[in-house]
Amino acid sequence: MPNKKHEQLLAFACERIPLLISLLLIFLFFMPLNSVQFNYFRPSVGIICVYYWRLNRQLIFGYFSAFIIGLMLDVYGSTPLGLNALLLLLLVAITTMPSQYLRTSSFSVRWLIFGFICMAIMLLKWLLLMLYFWHFLSLTEIMLGYFSTVMFYPLIATLNVWIAQKFLPPENIDEL
Amino acid sequence: MKQRKVWLIRFGELKVFFRRLFVVLLFLTAFLTILLSRVDSLIVSAVDKVIIDVTGPVMQVLEFPARTMHQAYTYFYDISHIYAENKQLRSENKQMMILQNKVRTLEVENQLLARLLNYVPPQEVSYMSARIIAESGDNFAHLLLVYIGDEAVRKGQVVLSNESVIGRVDTVGEHFAKIILITDINSRIPVLIERTRARGILSGNNTAIPEMIFTRSNADIQVGDVVVTSGVGGLFPSGLPIGFISAVNEDGSMKVEPMADISRLEYVRIVDYGLAGENEFSEDFTESNDAK
Repeated sequence: MPNKKHEQLLAFACERIPLLISLLLIFLFFMPLNSVQFNYFRPSVGIICVYYWRLNRQLIFGYFSAFIIGLMLDVYGSTPLGLNALLLLLLVAITTMPSQYLRTSSFSVRWLIFGFICMAIMLLKWLLLMLYFWHFLSLTEIMLGYFSTVMFYPLIATLNVWIAQKFLPPENIDEL
Repeated sequence: MKQRKVWLIRFGELKVFFRRLFVVLLFLTAFLTILLSRVDSLIVSAVDKVIIDVTGPVMQVLEFPARTMHQAYTYFYDISHIYAENKQLRSENKQMMILQNKVRTLEVENQLLARLLNYVPPQEVSYMSARIIAESGDNFAHLLLVYIGDEAVRKGQVVLSNESVIGRVDTVGEHFAKIILITDINSRIPVLIERTRARGILSGNNTAIPEMIFTRSNADIQVGDVVVTSGVGGLFPSGLPIGFISAVNEDGSMKVEPMADISRLEYVRIVDYGLAGENEFSEDFTESNDAK
Protein backbone atom coordinates (compact mmCIF):
# COMPACT_ATOMS: atom_id res chain seq x y z
CA MET A 1 0.00 0.00 0.00
CA PRO A 2 2.71 2.56 0.90
CA ASN A 3 4.40 1.62 -2.37
CA LYS A 4 1.28 2.55 -4.30
CA LYS A 5 1.09 5.89 -2.54
CA HIS A 6 4.76 6.46 -3.22
CA GLU A 7 4.21 5.69 -6.91
CA GLN A 8 1.22 8.03 -7.05
CA LEU A 9 3.27 10.80 -5.44
CA LEU A 10 6.09 10.20 -7.88
CA ALA A 11 3.70 10.30 -10.83
CA PHE A 12 2.20 13.54 -9.51
CA ALA A 13 5.68 15.09 -9.21
CA CYS A 14 6.63 13.89 -12.69
CA GLU A 15 3.54 15.52 -14.15
CA ARG A 16 4.62 18.87 -12.73
CA ILE A 17 8.13 18.67 -14.21
CA PRO A 18 7.36 20.42 -17.53
CA LEU A 19 5.72 23.35 -15.74
CA LEU A 20 8.50 23.65 -13.17
CA ILE A 21 11.26 23.39 -15.76
CA SER A 22 9.55 26.02 -17.91
CA LEU A 23 9.29 28.39 -14.94
CA LEU A 24 12.92 27.79 -14.02
CA LEU A 25 14.06 28.53 -17.58
CA ILE A 26 11.95 31.68 -17.64
CA PHE A 27 13.53 32.85 -14.38
CA LEU A 28 17.00 32.13 -15.79
CA PHE A 29 16.28 34.30 -18.79
CA PHE A 30 15.14 37.15 -16.54
CA MET A 31 18.67 37.40 -15.08
CA PRO A 32 20.18 40.88 -15.32
CA LEU A 33 22.44 40.79 -18.39
CA ASN A 34 24.10 44.17 -17.85
CA SER A 35 23.98 44.98 -21.53
CA VAL A 36 21.49 46.84 -23.71
CA GLN A 37 22.43 44.83 -26.80
CA PHE A 38 21.78 41.49 -25.10
CA ASN A 39 18.47 42.75 -23.74
CA TYR A 40 17.11 43.11 -27.26
CA PHE A 41 18.12 39.53 -28.03
CA ARG A 42 16.39 38.03 -25.02
CA PRO A 43 14.34 35.09 -26.30
CA SER A 44 10.74 34.52 -25.24
CA VAL A 45 11.41 31.26 -23.45
CA GLY A 46 7.77 30.97 -22.39
CA ILE A 47 6.66 30.55 -26.01
CA ILE A 48 9.36 27.92 -26.71
CA CYS A 49 8.51 25.90 -23.61
CA VAL A 50 4.75 25.96 -24.10
CA TYR A 51 5.12 24.96 -27.77
CA TYR A 52 7.58 22.16 -27.01
CA TRP A 53 5.74 20.61 -24.06
CA ARG A 54 2.30 20.91 -25.60
CA LEU A 55 3.55 19.25 -28.74
CA ASN A 56 5.32 16.39 -27.02
CA ARG A 57 3.56 15.93 -23.69
CA GLN A 58 -0.05 16.88 -24.23
CA LEU A 59 -1.29 14.72 -21.37
CA ILE A 60 0.75 16.46 -18.69
CA PHE A 61 1.06 19.94 -20.14
CA GLY A 62 -2.31 21.59 -20.60
CA TYR A 63 -4.02 24.93 -20.59
CA PHE A 64 -3.57 25.49 -16.87
CA SER A 65 0.23 25.18 -17.07
CA ALA A 66 0.29 27.69 -19.93
CA PHE A 67 -1.94 30.03 -17.91
CA ILE A 68 0.43 29.92 -14.92
CA ILE A 69 3.47 30.56 -17.15
CA GLY A 70 1.62 33.45 -18.78
CA LEU A 71 0.79 35.05 -15.41
CA MET A 72 4.43 34.76 -14.38
CA LEU A 73 5.53 36.44 -17.61
CA ASP A 74 3.00 39.22 -17.08
CA VAL A 75 4.24 39.96 -13.58
CA TYR A 76 7.92 39.95 -14.53
CA GLY A 77 7.40 41.50 -17.93
CA SER A 78 5.18 44.34 -16.70
CA THR A 79 2.70 43.64 -19.47
CA PRO A 80 -1.00 43.94 -18.49
CA LEU A 81 -1.80 41.04 -16.19
CA GLY A 82 -3.52 38.34 -18.21
CA LEU A 83 -2.10 39.29 -21.62
CA ASN A 84 0.67 36.69 -21.79
CA ALA A 85 -1.68 34.20 -20.15
CA LEU A 86 -4.23 34.76 -22.92
CA LEU A 87 -1.58 34.51 -25.65
CA LEU A 88 -0.10 31.31 -24.24
CA LEU A 89 -3.59 29.80 -23.95
CA LEU A 90 -4.01 30.63 -27.63
CA LEU A 91 -0.63 29.06 -28.35
CA VAL A 92 -1.77 25.86 -26.64
CA ALA A 93 -4.94 25.85 -28.72
CA ILE A 94 -2.99 26.47 -31.95
CA THR A 95 -0.38 23.83 -31.15
CA THR A 96 -3.00 21.22 -30.32
CA MET A 97 -4.47 21.36 -33.83
CA PRO A 98 -1.49 20.17 -35.92
CA SER A 99 0.12 18.19 -33.09
CA GLN A 100 -0.76 14.77 -34.59
CA TYR A 101 0.98 15.72 -37.83
CA LEU A 102 3.87 17.47 -36.13
CA ARG A 103 4.59 14.61 -33.75
CA THR A 104 5.63 12.42 -36.64
CA SER A 105 7.42 15.10 -38.66
CA SER A 106 11.10 15.96 -38.61
CA PHE A 107 12.76 18.47 -36.31
CA SER A 108 13.26 21.03 -39.09
CA VAL A 109 9.51 20.98 -39.91
CA ARG A 110 8.66 21.52 -36.24
CA TRP A 111 11.17 24.34 -36.06
CA LEU A 112 9.71 25.94 -39.17
CA ILE A 113 6.17 25.69 -37.83
CA PHE A 114 7.42 27.14 -34.55
CA GLY A 115 8.82 30.08 -36.50
CA PHE A 116 5.40 30.81 -38.01
CA ILE A 117 3.45 30.33 -34.79
CA CYS A 118 5.93 32.42 -32.79
CA MET A 119 5.68 35.20 -35.36
CA ALA A 120 1.87 35.16 -35.11
CA ILE A 121 1.93 35.22 -31.31
CA MET A 122 4.48 38.03 -31.11
CA LEU A 123 2.66 40.15 -33.67
CA LEU A 124 -0.61 39.60 -31.82
CA LYS A 125 1.07 40.64 -28.59
CA TRP A 126 2.45 43.73 -30.29
CA LEU A 127 -1.00 44.64 -31.63
CA LEU A 128 -2.77 44.03 -28.32
CA LEU A 129 -0.20 46.09 -26.44
CA MET A 130 -0.57 48.96 -28.89
CA LEU A 131 -4.33 48.80 -28.43
CA TYR A 132 -3.98 48.62 -24.64
CA PHE A 133 -1.60 51.58 -24.36
CA TRP A 134 -2.96 53.35 -27.47
CA HIS A 135 0.63 54.09 -28.45
CA PHE A 136 2.74 52.96 -31.41
CA LEU A 137 5.45 50.48 -30.43
CA SER A 138 8.57 49.99 -32.52
CA LEU A 139 8.70 46.70 -34.43
CA THR A 140 12.51 46.53 -34.59
CA GLU A 141 13.06 45.34 -31.03
CA ILE A 142 10.21 42.87 -31.35
CA MET A 143 11.74 41.42 -34.51
CA LEU A 144 15.11 41.06 -32.77
CA GLY A 145 13.36 39.25 -29.94
CA TYR A 146 11.55 37.05 -32.47
CA PHE A 147 14.76 36.01 -34.25
CA SER A 148 16.52 35.23 -31.00
CA THR A 149 13.49 33.17 -29.85
CA VAL A 150 13.57 31.14 -33.07
CA MET A 151 17.36 30.73 -32.82
CA PHE A 152 17.13 29.59 -29.20
CA TYR A 153 14.47 26.96 -29.99
CA PRO A 154 16.90 24.07 -30.76
CA LEU A 155 18.88 24.69 -27.57
CA ILE A 156 15.86 24.79 -25.28
CA ALA A 157 14.16 21.94 -27.11
CA THR A 158 17.30 19.79 -26.67
CA LEU A 159 17.36 20.59 -22.98
CA ASN A 160 13.69 19.70 -22.69
CA VAL A 161 14.26 16.43 -24.57
CA TRP A 162 16.99 15.53 -22.12
CA ILE A 163 14.73 16.32 -19.17
CA ALA A 164 11.85 14.38 -20.68
CA GLN A 165 14.00 11.32 -21.34
CA LYS A 166 15.62 11.46 -17.92
CA PHE A 167 12.62 12.15 -15.69
CA LEU A 168 9.41 11.44 -17.55
CA PRO A 169 7.86 8.14 -18.64
CA PRO A 170 8.13 7.66 -22.44
CA GLU A 171 5.34 9.10 -24.57
CA ASN A 172 7.09 9.79 -27.88
CA ILE A 173 10.09 8.20 -29.54
CA ASP A 174 11.30 11.15 -31.55
CA GLU A 175 10.80 14.16 -29.32
CA LEU A 176 13.08 16.79 -30.79
CA MET B 1 -24.70 -4.15 -16.36
CA LYS B 2 -26.06 -2.19 -19.30
CA GLN B 3 -27.15 0.65 -17.01
CA ARG B 4 -23.67 0.79 -15.49
CA LYS B 5 -22.18 1.11 -18.98
CA VAL B 6 -24.55 3.98 -19.76
CA TRP B 7 -23.53 5.71 -16.53
CA LEU B 8 -19.86 5.30 -17.38
CA ILE B 9 -20.42 6.83 -20.82
CA ARG B 10 -22.34 9.71 -19.27
CA PHE B 11 -19.59 10.22 -16.68
CA GLY B 12 -17.01 10.32 -19.49
CA GLU B 13 -19.06 12.88 -21.41
CA LEU B 14 -19.44 14.97 -18.26
CA LYS B 15 -15.70 14.85 -17.71
CA VAL B 16 -15.04 16.11 -21.24
CA PHE B 17 -17.66 18.83 -20.77
CA PHE B 18 -16.09 20.08 -17.53
CA ARG B 19 -12.64 19.98 -19.08
CA ARG B 20 -13.84 22.19 -21.95
CA LEU B 21 -15.64 24.48 -19.51
CA PHE B 22 -12.41 24.84 -17.54
CA VAL B 23 -10.52 25.89 -20.69
CA VAL B 24 -13.22 28.43 -21.54
CA LEU B 25 -13.03 29.75 -17.97
CA LEU B 26 -9.26 30.12 -18.23
CA PHE B 27 -9.64 32.16 -21.43
CA LEU B 28 -12.32 34.30 -19.78
CA THR B 29 -10.19 34.82 -16.65
CA ALA B 30 -7.22 35.93 -18.75
CA PHE B 31 -9.39 38.34 -20.73
CA LEU B 32 -11.10 39.77 -17.64
CA THR B 33 -7.75 40.19 -15.88
CA ILE B 34 -6.53 42.33 -18.79
CA LEU B 35 -9.61 44.52 -18.42
CA LEU B 36 -9.13 44.70 -14.65
CA SER B 37 -5.48 45.71 -14.97
CA ARG B 38 -6.61 48.55 -17.25
CA VAL B 39 -8.49 50.10 -14.32
CA ASP B 40 -5.61 49.39 -11.90
CA SER B 41 -7.67 47.06 -9.75
CA LEU B 42 -6.68 46.12 -6.21
CA ILE B 43 -7.07 42.44 -7.10
CA VAL B 44 -4.53 42.76 -9.88
CA SER B 45 -1.93 44.46 -7.68
CA ALA B 46 -2.55 41.87 -4.95
CA VAL B 47 -1.88 39.07 -7.45
CA ASP B 48 1.23 40.95 -8.57
CA LYS B 49 2.49 41.22 -4.99
CA VAL B 50 1.85 37.57 -4.19
CA ILE B 51 3.69 36.34 -7.29
CA ILE B 52 6.65 38.64 -6.63
CA ASP B 53 6.92 37.50 -3.01
CA VAL B 54 6.61 33.81 -3.86
CA THR B 55 9.04 33.81 -6.79
CA GLY B 56 11.44 36.50 -5.53
CA PRO B 57 13.53 34.11 -3.38
CA VAL B 58 13.94 31.76 -6.37
CA MET B 59 15.19 34.67 -8.47
CA GLN B 60 17.56 35.65 -5.68
CA VAL B 61 19.10 32.17 -5.56
CA LEU B 62 19.44 32.02 -9.36
CA GLU B 63 20.88 35.52 -9.53
CA PHE B 64 23.77 34.75 -7.15
CA PRO B 65 25.96 32.69 -9.53
CA ALA B 66 25.15 35.07 -12.40
CA ARG B 67 26.21 38.04 -10.28
CA THR B 68 29.42 36.31 -9.15
CA MET B 69 30.33 35.57 -12.75
CA HIS B 70 29.60 39.13 -13.78
CA GLN B 71 31.69 40.50 -10.92
CA ALA B 72 34.62 38.27 -11.93
CA TYR B 73 34.34 39.48 -15.52
CA THR B 74 34.15 43.14 -14.40
CA TYR B 75 37.20 42.62 -12.18
CA PHE B 76 39.39 41.41 -15.05
CA TYR B 77 37.93 43.98 -17.44
CA ASP B 78 38.76 46.77 -14.99
CA ILE B 79 42.32 45.51 -14.54
CA SER B 80 42.91 45.55 -18.28
CA HIS B 81 41.67 49.14 -18.53
CA ILE B 82 43.20 50.48 -15.34
CA TYR B 83 45.96 52.54 -17.01
CA ALA B 84 43.64 54.46 -19.35
CA GLU B 85 41.09 54.97 -16.58
CA ASN B 86 43.76 56.30 -14.22
CA LYS B 87 44.90 58.83 -16.81
CA GLN B 88 41.31 59.98 -17.37
CA LEU B 89 40.64 60.24 -13.63
CA ARG B 90 43.74 62.41 -13.13
CA SER B 91 42.55 64.89 -15.74
CA GLU B 92 39.02 64.83 -14.28
CA ASN B 93 40.45 65.36 -10.81
CA LYS B 94 42.17 68.58 -11.90
CA GLN B 95 38.87 69.94 -13.21
CA MET B 96 37.06 68.82 -10.05
CA MET B 97 39.49 70.73 -7.83
CA ILE B 98 38.73 73.94 -9.72
CA LEU B 99 34.98 73.22 -9.48
CA GLN B 100 35.24 72.41 -5.77
CA ASN B 101 36.61 75.87 -5.02
CA LYS B 102 33.78 77.43 -7.02
CA VAL B 103 31.18 75.30 -5.22
CA ARG B 104 32.51 76.32 -1.81
CA THR B 105 32.23 79.99 -2.70
CA LEU B 106 28.70 79.50 -4.08
CA GLU B 107 27.64 77.52 -1.03
CA VAL B 108 28.62 80.34 1.33
CA GLU B 109 26.92 82.86 -0.94
CA ASN B 110 23.81 80.68 -1.09
CA GLN B 111 23.62 80.40 2.71
CA LEU B 112 23.89 84.15 3.10
CA LEU B 113 21.19 84.83 0.53
CA ALA B 114 18.90 82.16 1.99
CA ARG B 115 19.23 83.78 5.42
CA LEU B 116 18.37 87.16 3.92
CA LEU B 117 15.22 85.75 2.27
CA ASN B 118 14.13 83.62 5.27
CA TYR B 119 14.21 80.64 2.89
CA VAL B 120 12.98 77.34 4.34
CA PRO B 121 15.26 74.51 3.16
CA PRO B 122 13.57 71.40 1.72
CA GLN B 123 13.03 68.35 3.90
CA GLU B 124 16.03 66.01 4.12
CA VAL B 125 15.63 62.90 2.05
CA SER B 126 16.08 59.34 3.18
CA TYR B 127 17.15 56.59 0.84
CA MET B 128 18.04 52.94 0.68
CA SER B 129 20.12 50.90 -1.73
CA ALA B 130 18.53 47.86 -3.33
CA ARG B 131 20.14 45.08 -5.33
CA ILE B 132 18.72 44.24 -8.75
CA ILE B 133 17.85 40.57 -8.96
CA ALA B 134 15.92 40.46 -12.23
CA GLU B 135 15.07 42.57 -15.22
CA SER B 136 12.23 42.33 -17.72
CA GLY B 137 12.65 39.31 -19.90
CA ASP B 138 11.29 40.47 -23.22
CA ASN B 139 11.18 43.39 -25.61
CA PHE B 140 7.76 44.59 -24.53
CA ALA B 141 8.63 46.03 -21.13
CA HIS B 142 11.41 47.67 -19.19
CA LEU B 143 11.39 46.92 -15.49
CA LEU B 144 13.59 45.73 -12.65
CA LEU B 145 12.93 43.50 -9.66
CA VAL B 146 14.93 44.53 -6.60
CA TYR B 147 15.48 43.07 -3.14
CA ILE B 148 14.43 45.58 -0.47
CA GLY B 149 14.64 43.36 2.62
CA ASP B 150 12.58 44.75 5.49
CA GLU B 151 12.91 48.39 4.47
CA ALA B 152 9.72 50.45 4.19
CA VAL B 153 9.26 51.28 0.53
CA ARG B 154 6.15 52.91 -0.94
CA LYS B 155 4.62 52.76 -4.39
CA GLY B 156 5.65 55.80 -6.41
CA GLN B 157 8.99 56.47 -4.71
CA VAL B 158 11.78 57.77 -6.93
CA VAL B 159 14.52 55.39 -8.04
CA LEU B 160 17.95 56.80 -8.83
CA SER B 161 21.22 55.49 -10.17
CA ASN B 162 24.44 57.24 -9.17
CA GLU B 163 23.80 59.94 -11.73
CA SER B 164 20.11 60.39 -12.38
CA VAL B 165 16.47 59.29 -12.19
CA ILE B 166 15.93 55.84 -13.67
CA GLY B 167 12.34 55.08 -12.66
CA ARG B 168 9.79 54.71 -9.90
CA VAL B 169 8.58 51.98 -7.58
CA ASP B 170 5.56 50.21 -9.05
CA THR B 171 4.71 47.24 -6.84
CA VAL B 172 5.95 46.57 -3.32
CA GLY B 173 5.92 43.07 -1.89
CA GLU B 174 7.16 41.81 1.50
CA HIS B 175 10.84 41.79 0.56
CA PHE B 176 10.86 42.63 -3.14
CA ALA B 177 9.79 45.58 -5.24
CA LYS B 178 9.12 46.09 -8.91
CA ILE B 179 10.56 49.20 -10.55
CA ILE B 180 9.18 50.71 -13.72
CA LEU B 181 12.03 52.27 -15.70
CA ILE B 182 11.77 55.64 -17.47
CA THR B 183 12.04 53.73 -20.75
CA ASP B 184 8.93 51.61 -20.07
CA ILE B 185 5.73 52.46 -21.89
CA ASN B 186 3.92 52.84 -18.54
CA SER B 187 6.26 55.65 -17.48
CA ARG B 188 5.18 59.33 -17.73
CA ILE B 189 7.26 61.94 -15.88
CA PRO B 190 6.70 65.72 -15.92
CA VAL B 191 10.03 67.24 -16.97
CA LEU B 192 11.59 70.49 -18.12
CA ILE B 193 14.61 71.63 -20.07
CA GLU B 194 17.15 72.93 -17.57
CA ARG B 195 18.42 75.74 -19.84
CA THR B 196 15.11 77.21 -21.05
CA ARG B 197 12.63 75.81 -18.45
CA ALA B 198 10.44 74.52 -21.32
CA ARG B 199 8.07 71.93 -19.89
CA GLY B 200 6.93 68.58 -21.21
CA ILE B 201 6.32 64.95 -20.33
CA LEU B 202 8.96 62.27 -20.59
CA SER B 203 7.19 59.29 -22.07
CA GLY B 204 8.68 55.79 -22.20
CA ASN B 205 8.22 53.84 -25.42
CA ASN B 206 9.90 50.51 -24.63
CA THR B 207 13.08 51.49 -26.45
CA ALA B 208 16.33 52.61 -24.83
CA ILE B 209 15.55 56.23 -25.80
CA PRO B 210 12.32 57.69 -24.32
CA GLU B 211 10.54 60.70 -25.83
CA MET B 212 9.72 64.15 -24.51
CA ILE B 213 6.18 65.05 -25.55
CA PHE B 214 3.61 67.82 -24.92
CA THR B 215 6.15 70.62 -25.32
CA ARG B 216 5.20 73.99 -26.81
CA SER B 217 5.83 74.18 -30.54
CA ASN B 218 7.88 77.37 -30.15
CA ALA B 219 9.95 76.06 -27.21
CA ASP B 220 13.69 76.66 -27.54
CA ILE B 221 15.09 73.16 -27.30
CA GLN B 222 18.40 72.00 -28.72
CA VAL B 223 20.28 68.73 -28.95
CA GLY B 224 22.41 68.34 -25.83
CA ASP B 225 20.04 70.22 -23.48
CA VAL B 226 19.75 68.66 -20.04
CA VAL B 227 16.32 67.30 -19.07
CA VAL B 228 15.36 67.43 -15.39
CA THR B 229 12.21 66.65 -13.42
CA SER B 230 9.80 69.59 -13.18
CA GLY B 231 8.17 68.61 -9.91
CA VAL B 232 4.67 69.02 -11.40
CA GLY B 233 2.25 66.51 -9.91
CA GLY B 234 4.24 66.06 -6.73
CA LEU B 235 5.58 62.58 -7.36
CA PHE B 236 9.12 63.63 -8.27
CA PRO B 237 10.86 66.67 -6.74
CA SER B 238 12.03 69.29 -9.21
CA GLY B 239 15.55 69.48 -10.59
CA LEU B 240 16.52 65.80 -10.63
CA PRO B 241 18.57 65.09 -13.76
CA ILE B 242 17.19 62.51 -16.18
CA GLY B 243 18.99 62.77 -19.51
CA PHE B 244 20.02 64.80 -22.53
CA ILE B 245 18.07 65.74 -25.66
CA SER B 246 19.57 63.50 -28.34
CA ALA B 247 17.31 64.42 -31.28
CA VAL B 248 14.52 66.88 -32.10
CA ASN B 249 11.91 65.46 -34.47
CA GLU B 250 9.91 67.41 -37.02
CA ASP B 251 6.61 66.61 -35.26
CA GLY B 252 7.86 68.41 -32.14
CA SER B 253 8.69 65.35 -30.08
CA MET B 254 12.22 64.89 -28.80
CA LYS B 255 14.37 61.90 -28.04
CA VAL B 256 15.91 61.89 -24.59
CA GLU B 257 19.00 59.83 -23.91
CA PRO B 258 19.04 58.77 -20.24
CA MET B 259 22.11 59.89 -18.27
CA ALA B 260 22.39 56.58 -16.49
CA ASP B 261 23.45 53.45 -18.32
CA ILE B 262 20.44 51.50 -17.12
CA SER B 263 21.68 48.21 -18.54
CA ARG B 264 24.81 48.26 -16.40
CA LEU B 265 23.15 48.84 -13.05
CA GLU B 266 23.64 46.40 -10.20
CA TYR B 267 22.26 48.51 -7.38
CA VAL B 268 19.72 51.31 -7.32
CA ARG B 269 18.78 53.96 -4.75
CA ILE B 270 15.15 54.21 -3.69
CA VAL B 271 14.63 57.71 -2.35
CA ASP B 272 11.88 58.98 -0.08
CA TYR B 273 11.43 62.70 -0.68
CA GLY B 274 8.40 62.74 1.58
CA LEU B 275 6.21 63.72 -1.34
CA ALA B 276 2.62 62.74 -2.22
CA GLY B 277 1.98 59.21 -3.33
CA GLU B 278 1.44 58.01 -6.85
CA ASN B 279 -2.36 58.06 -6.70
CA GLU B 280 -2.41 61.75 -5.89
CA PHE B 281 -0.01 62.35 -8.76
CA SER B 282 -2.12 60.49 -11.27
CA GLU B 283 -5.26 62.38 -10.19
CA ASP B 284 -3.46 65.72 -10.57
CA PHE B 285 -2.11 64.70 -13.92
CA THR B 286 -5.52 63.59 -15.19
CA GLU B 287 -7.13 66.83 -13.99
CA SER B 288 -4.50 68.99 -15.67
CA ASN B 289 -4.94 67.03 -18.88
CA ASP B 290 -8.70 67.37 -18.69
CA ALA B 291 -8.34 71.11 -18.18
CA LYS B 292 -6.33 71.33 -21.41
